[in-house]
Amino acid sequence: MTAILQILFDALSLGSLYALGALGIALIFGVMRLVNFAHGDYIAFCVFAMLWPSIDAAAIVFAGNLPTYLLIPLILCVGAGLSVLSEILVFRRFRNANPATMMIASFALGFVIKYLLLMLYSSRPKSIDLWSNLSQQIEIFGARIPPLQVITICTTIVILLALTAFLKRTRYGLEMRAAAENFTMARMLGVRANLVIMLAFALSGMLAAAVGLILVTQTGTVDINMGANIMLVAFVATVIGGLGSLPGAVIAGFLIGGLSSLMQAYLPADARPFRDAFVYGAVIVMLIWRPNGLFSSKAAKQRV
Amino acid sequence: MTLLSIENISVRYGKLTALRRASITVNEGETLFVTGPNGAGKSTLLKAIAGVVTPREGFIRFNGAHIAGKAPEDIARMGFSMVPEGREVFGGLTIEENLRLGTGMRADKDQAARDLEQVYAVFPMLKDRKDAQAGVLSGGQQQMLVIGRALMASPKLIAIDEPSLGLAPKVTDDVYATLLKLRDSRGLTLLIVEQSATRAGLTGGRMVLMRAGQVALEGDARQLVKGDALRQAYFGYGDH
Amino acid sequence: MQHRPSIIARTWSTPVILIAILLAVALAAVAAGSGPFNQTVIEIFIRVVLVVGLYVFIGNSGVISFGHIGFTCLGAYMTAWLTMLPAIKKSKLKGLPDIILNAKLQYGWGLLAATVFAAICAYVIGKVLMRLSGIAASIASFAVLAVIIQVYSNWDSVTGAQSSVVGIPIVRTIWPYFLCAVIVVAAAYLYSISRSGLALRAARDEATAAAASGVDIPRERLIAFVISGAMMGLGGALFAHSVGVVTPDTFYLGLTFVTLSMLVVGGMNSLSGAVLGVVVLSIIIQVLRWLEKGIDAGFGVISIPNGVQEIAIGVVMIVILMFRPTGMTRNRELVWPGNKLSADAGALPSPADGKTLKT
Repeated sequence: MTAILQILFDALSLGSLYALGALGIALIFGVMRLVNFAHGDYIAFCVFAMLWPSIDAAAIVFAGNLPTYLLIPLILCVGAGLSVLSEILVFRRFRNANPATMMIASFALGFVIKYLLLMLYSSRPKSIDLWSNLSQQIEIFGARIPPLQVITICTTIVILLALTAFLKRTRYGLEMRAAAENFTMARMLGVRANLVIMLAFALSGMLAAAVGLILVTQTGTVDINMGANIMLVAFVATVIGGLGSLPGAVIAGFLIGGLSSLMQAYLPADARPFRDAFVYGAVIVMLIWRPNGLFSSKAAKQRV
Repeated sequence: MTLLSIENISVRYGKLTALRRASITVNEGETLFVTGPNGAGKSTLLKAIAGVVTPREGFIRFNGAHIAGKAPEDIARMGFSMVPEGREVFGGLTIEENLRLGTGMRADKDQAARDLEQVYAVFPMLKDRKDAQAGVLSGGQQQMLVIGRALMASPKLIAIDEPSLGLAPKVTDDVYATLLKLRDSRGLTLLIVEQSATRAGLTGGRMVLMRAGQVALEGDARQLVKGDALRQAYFGYGDH
Repeated sequence: MQHRPSIIARTWSTPVILIAILLAVALAAVAAGSGPFNQTVIEIFIRVVLVVGLYVFIGNSGVISFGHIGFTCLGAYMTAWLTMLPAIKKSKLKGLPDIILNAKLQYGWGLLAATVFAAICAYVIGKVLMRLSGIAASIASFAVLAVIIQVYSNWDSVTGAQSSVVGIPIVRTIWPYFLCAVIVVAAAYLYSISRSGLALRAARDEATAAAASGVDIPRERLIAFVISGAMMGLGGALFAHSVGVVTPDTFYLGLTFVTLSMLVVGGMNSLSGAVLGVVVLSIIIQVLRWLEKGIDAGFGVISIPNGVQEIAIGVVMIVILMFRPTGMTRNRELVWPGNKLSADAGALPSPADGKTLKT
């Protein structure tokens, strides 16, 4: 029983990270058919924003010293700002380009951001102590769970509820859903393209920042490549969820998190290092079975 | 009074010319039918007005302002409502959400709420199912929905691309009856692309016949349908 | 098929010009004498092999693949396994099968084995992957790369996991590399005028029409995928012999980025673009590398910080995509002056061009 509970918490907290990442990618894909390869680098950028630029081995914490109630909004703003800036400087000019061109452009942008970080902070991973007491384990019903897992899961639930409320209850949310379904028609009804797209980028950037904060608290290190793995899983999750479907992305994120945790727990020790390879393999097999994803939206089928 | 004037616009898709120096005017309060064979450039004409495609040359003036090259949302906010071919409802949104999208540019929320009630008064069926997903509606119901949605913006001009496409004749009759009622009660101007000239003749109004990206013939719909000139223009002068 | 001779007549000059460019690069290296320049030229030839390999699939099929560098990894390790001294293998890579463990082949056989091995893997992976298309295919290809790198960075007994595999025989003369680049360019040209290549490009431009006229798109894609996978494997093996060391990390996103950017800058849909992209970006990279190391300008050493090289390439790539998405060559092929230009159907504007939504 406790073992199952432990796996459940592992699965949910890992799935939370993947779901938030996938949501960040699906939001932008929805409004402009862009698969944003720079998303992982947004995550790393947000984390590095807490440090003072230096290529020394030791991290010089700067903004990271702020009290929590200031730090979190600041990092969220950094994420939103970076994301919106990349829309204005780069992606705006690719609105009429085909998805493949946009995808490569985002890949290049991701590299620019990554090597900017390398230039400012060097490529060595640095350790940083952020809320590390959250990783000390506590006992819940006999399972040893770090509070961070609980916080991660709760934060994700709050974010998902807030985002759902935004999309379902507000005017901008309505416009965004409409734009995701049929952008041209939405514009013909007076929906402002630039505003909706910038909003999607801002939300996506904030999600990247949230992922970054959770990740750095979990691992205690900052690394210019720290977003890469989450991004890859998030991509895969958006494809499984049906490109463009937000609920699909979230569910698929949790599914992959669950699959990874199960494999971590039940694979023989020799095979455990290959866990991710098994997960991706399973995903590819699934795609053959359902090329449009598990929960493909009608809009995505028509246009992708 | 002229509400919309299109002067010598040309539109090309790659090597394909869809419109070549076409000119059309629409007067306030009138119903103008645009007919013509497939590929005559009728839909492209509407798309050019709506700002979805940008003409390579020519002017489009709407309500006194130049709109060629402007963004679709800006043109919509000036009082031009477009109902494109194939209806384009947002299938994943509810009926009421579809309608509320049409009010985006309206600052006055009370007025928007009153408009919603008025649209529901015209289309009671929509009110009955207002929380249903728009994707489940039948073709005729979707046509009503998009017309209702276009009305929500209180436009000066509604342009409709092929309102009868895919609908049973009886349903088409209903759609047209509603449109004419709205025109008379609200002082709307209608610009209707309709492949069937007969339908235009039945409804009445002015008619423009397009062929190969140009205006081939213009006149009163009822008169034109009776005469031979229409058929000749439709199929081309002595092409075969 | 009766068009075949006329296609060759119209297009034969393209591979000849490209090979002449490569020869010029090789002769320049010889003229400059051996030294650091030699290694740069070897790098250029390896990149030609890799980028042309990418072109064979991406250019002809129009599907962006982020996974091809995985085959490069497969090829590099394969030649390492076959050509290293058995003694080194027995201490570091115990898990290899005995036949490989005791093998000590010439590097030529290593290259061949790497090519064949990568082709076989490409066939197996492609058989599955080619049923996807568009964005799903691109992301799945990315996942394939991740799987290959994951396996190679963790399979301690066979690949040495993340530690470097050292002791691969190093080949320092430029001619084997030149020869491989020439073979790859010629093969890519022959493929592009083959029945399969033509069908695939037709499908790239007009998928529905091509499918309707009987083109089996997954099959043609698979053929291109296997050929390009083989070339990527060859490129990986050449890389292994050029530096003598391999690690899985070498074959991950960094190399994917560099090769893809060369293809994009040159022009994704043309063989000439692939070759020119390599030459031009390699020159830029080399200059930036010198600057990163520092140049004595008389009054002191001028140097630029690490990372500028990649940032510059990234920016060049974005700017090219923005203002000239068809690359330097505009997706056309270089042909002899006087011949009719543009052998590639891809150079024709597609009907979708006019459907622009102005923002």
